[in-house]
Amino acid sequence: MTQSGEPVIGVANLCKCYGDVKAVDGVSFQVGRGEVFGLLGPNGAGKTTTIEILEGLREPDSGSVTVFGMDVTRHAPSIKQRIGVQLQTVSLYPRLTVTELLDLFGSFYAHHLPTKQLIDAVDLGERAKARSMNLSGGQQQRLSIALALVNDPELIFLDEPTTGLDPQARRSLWDLIKGLQERGKSILMTTHYMEEAAELCGRVAIMDHGHILEMGTVPELIGRRFKERAVFFDTTEKLPMTQLGKLAGVTQAAQEDGQTVLYSRDVAGTIGALLALADDQSVEPRNLGIRQATLEDVFLDLTGRALRD
Amino acid sequence: MNTLLRLTVANIRSLVRDRAALFWTFFFPVMFVFLFGWIFGGSSDSKVAIGFVDQDNTQVSMGLQQSFSQVTLLTIQTGSLEAEKAAMQHGDISAIVVVPSGTGAAVAAKSATSIQLYIDPSSSQVSQVVEQIADQIANRFNLQLAGGSSVVGIQQMTLQSTNISTVAYLVPSILAMALMQLGVFAAIPLVQQREKGILKRIGATPLARWKLVGSNVLLRLLVAIVDAVVILGIGLVFFNIQIVGSLLEAAGLVLLGAGAFLAIGFALASFLKTEEQATGVVQVVQMPMMFLSGIFFSFDFLPGFLQTVARFLPLTYLADALRQVMVNGTQVAPLGVDVAVLTGWLVVCLGIAARSFRWE
Repeated sequence: MTQSGEPVIGVANLCKCYGDVKAVDGVSFQVGRGEVFGLLGPNGAGKTTTIEILEGLREPDSGSVTVFGMDVTRHAPSIKQRIGVQLQTVSLYPRLTVTELLDLFGSFYAHHLPTKQLIDAVDLGERAKARSMNLSGGQQQRLSIALALVNDPELIFLDEPTTGLDPQARRSLWDLIKGLQERGKSILMTTHYMEEAAELCGRVAIMDHGHILEMGTVPELIGRRFKERAVFFDTTEKLPMTQLGKLAGVTQAAQEDGQTVLYSRDVAGTIGALLALADDQSVEPRNLGIRQATLEDVFLDLTGRALRD
Repeated sequence: MNTLLRLTVANIRSLVRDRAALFWTFFFPVMFVFLFGWIFGGSSDSKVAIGFVDQDNTQVSMGLQQSFSQVTLLTIQTGSLEAEKAAMQHGDISAIVVVPSGTGAAVAAKSATSIQLYIDPSSSQVSQVVEQIADQIANRFNLQLAGGSSVVGIQQMTLQSTNISTVAYLVPSILAMALMQLGVFAAIPLVQQREKGILKRIGATPLARWKLVGSNVLLRLLVAIVDAVVILGIGLVFFNIQIVGSLLEAAGLVLLGAGAFLAIGFALASFLKTEEQATGVVQVVQMPMMFLSGIFFSFDFLPGFLQTVARFLPLTYLADALRQVMVNGTQVAPLGVDVAVLTGWLVVCLGIAARSFRWE
């Protein structure tokens, strides 16, 4: 934890219902200054609702929510001066250019950074005069982040910043976010890419159905559930789960995305036993491999389903 | 620079860079003016509308009516003297022929009598033509029935006509239509911006929401003024319409009208969720209003039930008010009533929008 001093975000027992649906149901967490905190979970887990309450866009039903130590419902205007917001939807005034949009948004704040500096920060110099509708997906996301940085905020909210981007654009956005962290910004981000959370976030909270299921650093979360490593191969009917679960060293067997995963305390023993069993059934396990347990495995273990289902 | 102004500039840029929006906001009404101008512009030259008032109801008066209606240059409408006088004062007809009661009896007795011809000397061309026609008909009549002795004479009367041409009638109507459309259509970008999350994104900045709404209103009022200048300009330059009222009053009405229809647009946007929905509903609102308000026809010519419908539509009152101030046209209601009705729509719809508008 890189936390120091008073937390920039404090959430305690937050609840928010839409009709009968409890979108957020008793969520509590804190984010320290300079920390990158990730809210992870599938669509509908309550991440976006939580983040929008923190941004002052929605009112909580109950619970206490503070940003910079101030209550969000009572101090929204002064909080909004000091936060930067990037929402999932990005199309803002499609016919305005990058420069025009940054100038416009800057004018909403008491203090704002020079547009040129912002454009350089997100590497959009060549597209400064392009209309936002003509930008590529990755460029639009970078513009959306530049807009979130316009007031030089202390705390930045990023809601699924890389959804829908190709791997290269995602990498370059990760570099951008890491740069923000190095400059001491506090960041609260949501994602449903475990890999992204592992790469960027100091701490993560895993959410599902409006609850936080588990919270901690990524190694903590993995270590807490899996002392094991994972042996994986393409699922085949000839190797039934009941038998696989009994193989040497295996603590747990699971299936995800057409692959069978065996969590094992003794990888060598497990592979030996697996190959012997396969030989018996005269099949060869395809795409056999070994890896460390990941956040995906943690999520699967917590909820019984894969993250992107 | 003030944020309200900056937002308005952003809105103007968005509009100017959107060709489809430009077409509907500016070129569509301009097209209407030219289209109607060309269709109706020539009509006052080729045909003259006159009123025929038969107070006699004899063979003689009917014969006279037939003679007038056989003249290809004329179109005839009949009615009471009062109604026809009113029509002439409104500029719907250019002259009136009156056959007084007792004419038939006088002709039978071969004693001298006269029919009355109301003309407006100020529109000399038309009145000369009508005078000549009436003379010819009277002469022919005297030849046939009275053997040449002049029994039927013509008594000339003058009546001031506003001499309003069809185009002059239509220009304020088209302006009213343009204002109605720019107001009601404002619902679409608003719903669009909400659907795309733009309203929400701006809600996460310290910007006061009234400025966002205010910039939208400013843009539309600006467009209303441009529309008014362009449409009136075309009317003045190409179709020789004359503006009788004060320009200041006209400008006030343009802003009031645009405001009332904007309020209607905002109220609509409060209940619509998707852009497709908005596009559909806006058409359902504006198309019938365009045709049922009778803006393209004189109100008096509308069938009774349509008049009733039209009396419920705000567009009727805006068109009426603009007509009264600009070309002194047919009056549907006193100007004060027009203004009151439009103000009522403005206040009620703004209230609805303020209560029900959703930002996301």
